Amino acid sequence: MIKIWTMKKENAGVDKKKQKVTAGQIRVQKDLSELDLPKTMKMTFPVPDDLLNFELEISPDEGFYAGGTFKFSFSVNGNYPHDAPSVKCLQKIYHPNIQADGKICLNILREDWKPVLTLNSVMVGLQYLLLEPNADDPLNKEAAEDLRTNRRNFETNVAKSIRGGSVNGIQYDNVMTH
Amino acid sequence: MKVKVKRWHTVAIWQWDMEDSTDLCGICHGPFDSCCPDCRIPGDNCPLLWGKCTHCFHLHCINKWIETNDSEGTCPMDRQIFEAAT
Repeated sequence: MIKIWTMKKENAGVDKKKQKVTAGQIRVQKDLSELDLPKTMKMTFPVPDDLLNFELEISPDEGFYAGGTFKFSFSVNGNYPHDAPSVKCLQKIYHPNIQADGKICLNILREDWKPVLTLNSVMVGLQYLLLEPNADDPLNKEAAEDLRTNRRNFETNVAKSIRGGSVNGIQYDNVMTH
Repeated sequence: MKVKVKRWHTVAIWQWDMEDSTDLCGICHGPFDSCCPDCRIPGDNCPLLWGKCTHCFHLHCINKWIETNDSEGTCPMDRQIFEAAT
């Protein structure tokens, strides 16, 4: 008899924990279940039980950044989808819209975020940023100027930087994988 | 022959009166017939709201968005000022 009571109490504890799932978590689960990642993207969960913090690797198969693998961290708060996920680039790369500290300039991560967007929208946006860097909205002004004035030179500089070389005296991370 | 009904058991279902109430709310991605993630019981306490732009959301979902500074009062589908249809 006593055993049954203690079991019941333990089960009640489990139920309470389950009910603590936030609206944000529910929505993230839906986003993740609908994801159909292309072969150029891979997700990893450093803490398996934590769906709100994960990493994404993008390995573009064309464009300036082809050949490299770029790592991004995603952090989703409980107010998602009313707040945008916060996304950072984990490597130091030469890109007009990505700062050396990992800060990313992508419209849907800031002023153009709206709650009907999904994690997939953000991932597609990041992939697009690697395929088509945008010189009009720069975080790295030198890289943007380089892209605007001489596309060929920009291409050479990106190729150098993703192999761990320096551009304008700044060394970048070697991100080549294929 | 006389039949006497001793008892009966009635069952009813409900759904929102709209074209396809199994559609999903664009904000929470839950069905319209279900409630928003902050509610527990679907029905009149968690109603739907249509905008003049014809987009529809759970009332609680669209309110939560409109109340944020970032929304600037716009519909999350078309970025026009969200006005409730009357």
